[in-house]
Amino acid sequence: MTASDGLALVVLAGLTAYAVLGGADFGAGLWDLTRHPAQRELVARALAPVWEANHVWLIFVVITLFTGFPGAFGALSRALVAPVSVALLGIVLRGAAFVFRQYGAPDGGRAVRGTALWGRVFAVSSLVTPFALGTAAGALAGGGLRADGSAGLWAPFLEPLPLVAGLLAVSCCGYLAAVFLSRDAERVGSPELLARFRRRALAAGVLAGALAVAALPLLPPALAGALRGVGLPAVAVSAAAGVFGLALLWRRRHAAARVAAAGAPAGLLAGWALALHPWALPGEVLLADSAAPPVIAGPVLGVLLAGLVLIAPGYAVMLRVLRARPE
Amino acid sequence: MIDDLTAAREQMALSLSFHIVFAVLGVGMPWLMLFAEWRGLRTGDARWTALARRWSKAVAVLFAIGAVSGTVLSIEFGLLWPEFMARFGAAIGLSFTLESFAFFVEAIFLALYLYGGNRLSARAHLLCAVPVAVGGMASALFVTTANAWMNGPVGLVREPDGRLLATEPLGPFLAPTAGPQLVHMGLAALMCTGLAVAAVYAVAMLRDPARRDGYHRRGLAAGAALGLTAAPLQLLVGDWATRVVADVQPAKFAALEGLEHTVDGAPFHAGPLEIPRALSLLLHFDPNARVLGMDAVPAPDRPPASVVHASFQLMAGLGTLLVALAVWAGWLYLRHRRGAPHPATRRPFLLAVAAAGPAPFAALLAGWVVTEVGRQPWIVYRVLRTTDALTTQTGLATYLYATAGVYLVLAVALVAILRRIARGATPADPDPAGRGPADGGPVDGGQPGGPATGGPATGDGPTARTEVPA
Repeated sequence: MTASDGLALVVLAGLTAYAVLGGADFGAGLWDLTRHPAQRELVARALAPVWEANHVWLIFVVITLFTGFPGAFGALSRALVAPVSVALLGIVLRGAAFVFRQYGAPDGGRAVRGTALWGRVFAVSSLVTPFALGTAAGALAGGGLRADGSAGLWAPFLEPLPLVAGLLAVSCCGYLAAVFLSRDAERVGSPELLARFRRRALAAGVLAGALAVAALPLLPPALAGALRGVGLPAVAVSAAAGVFGLALLWRRRHAAARVAAAGAPAGLLAGWALALHPWALPGEVLLADSAAPPVIAGPVLGVLLAGLVLIAPGYAVMLRVLRARPE
Repeated sequence: MIDDLTAAREQMALSLSFHIVFAVLGVGMPWLMLFAEWRGLRTGDARWTALARRWSKAVAVLFAIGAVSGTVLSIEFGLLWPEFMARFGAAIGLSFTLESFAFFVEAIFLALYLYGGNRLSARAHLLCAVPVAVGGMASALFVTTANAWMNGPVGLVREPDGRLLATEPLGPFLAPTAGPQLVHMGLAALMCTGLAVAAVYAVAMLRDPARRDGYHRRGLAAGAALGLTAAPLQLLVGDWATRVVADVQPAKFAALEGLEHTVDGAPFHAGPLEIPRALSLLLHFDPNARVLGMDAVPAPDRPPASVVHASFQLMAGLGTLLVALAVWAGWLYLRHRRGAPHPATRRPFLLAVAAAGPAPFAALLAGWVVTEVGRQPWIVYRVLRTTDALTTQTGLATYLYATAGVYLVLAVALVAILRRIARGATPADPDPAGRGPADGGPVDGGQPGGPATGGPATGDGPTARTEVPA
């Protein structure tokens, strides 16, 4: 295994962390699209302390990608201009709108004029961002992109596979968030909210599973073959975790359901990455050809691993200490 | 419609300007927050604690805006300059990798600081602010090393035929401009933060004399002390940075000094003034030394001189004015120590501090214009031209206008929220008749039932107390 292989694994690990932790934050924003005040309150309480740290995973993935695979980063930047730009707009609006809403009423009471609007911007951009990112992943799998961007600006939005992938990403986020929020509702002792989020988790989980199955016939033959081959263990983990997560929810084992729920999108991403391998951009750019020279890949991999080991305990403490609790 | 290269460069300028104006506050504010919380904990003075609380809310908002606008930048590098990232993403990779970890540290401990208050001891809470301040400053400096490398790329590994093979991972840290750029940027962040904070309290005191109380004086003193101490240092570092630029990037130096022709005994320009031979004297300690002018650089390699020259003059002029303000403030403070009225009782001084709030930001932006426009036509100095790095995607002007619209709305909303955070009830001064300072625990500046705004100004003789931290 070379340093570049290690960097590819770090990119995938970062992407998985972002999909699970950041994805749950986007999903929580989705469940903010309601008139139910207690539900919105729990969403805000769960999200406020952790979303920024979770967002750093995206920055981490972008940086690791352009450091380890600068050629692939250049090609992806050309090929995915439209979905990435939409995602960026969503990321900026989601983050800004959330803090504007949170800190728009510093006296704890009277909201500032306009914070209600920012609340809606927050919720809608929480929906748009995972959709755009899912579209980008789907377009990559579809194989119709060109490294010089010649496939067209809007090409990623014009095929059925990317659109289904976008919806799949949104429903996965909604599912993850609802599962996590069910446990939060249980912890703060609100049976009503628990029932609401449990229902939403079950619905979003079934929808995500259905969309994942619907995407299968849309895959190009080579990719579908790879999924049945090298990608099979990952796909199996994803499917099993999805079913198991729903079963745990059904049996009201909310704490355990969180782990299973995280396994479904993680397995999906791993399967996607394994099926794409050895390509960064299918048919155009090989991952190995686009890698940074070994003189950089080695030291950077070392720094990345050391850094991850150093921040992991702090990150875990933060997630533990800051989760929603009874007042 | 403007052409795509101009649009892409304007887009970069816009995204960087938006990010940096709010990010420097995100870098500097945690230091003030840490200081105020430490003072409050050590002295039991509720006014310091209230300031720390108030500032932590500003930090929370600014950190979020810095995080998302920084994400925009890292992805825009690829969207606008894919050839640059494809060829040199790895070269600047270590800088950004370290930045991402500094950012993780900052985010994790900021979350614990902001939301873990009731689950942590007062001491642990204070200690959480340390990695926030250090991590924020470190992430800013790591990113600046990447820019230093673009201005003075080192560690290039070439084939015998001159083709670029690889770059050394430590290149950004060894770039000749890295030293002065890092110190210059770090001090700039502290100057911007300190003077912006001081200006907020100066404006409040000017609007309402009842607000010339201990709370506002402490806010003003902490901000002014930070910003104005950094100002004279910044002048020295700026001089250092200019000398390094003269060595490494003669074209940029000629542009910023407005020197068209190579001459022996070059004059120094300060606004409309021209001092004969002074530039040669300053640069080489010899009034007759030769200084390279723009004509020493081939025409296709020259940066747009007038913008760079005007920006440099603006930055240096504002910096000099701020040093003058620092001298004045220092003199007033020393006189106050000997019994003269507190500087906050002097209206002209408050007006000057209020006016000085935006100045370091203008100087900051002007300084980055010097750095970035002065590097043109190169994106990596003498290695890759900006034109060759540009994306083939067209219609970038539309992209620019959309971004400008979004950022305008966000900037307006952000300033409104920050103003909102600055308002609200503040703790009153302790009764001078003698119940001692601030009875009891921390006062949350945001509590609706908190002490009345401004507080009673009874017995508020200007010489009654010393307000400035020792």
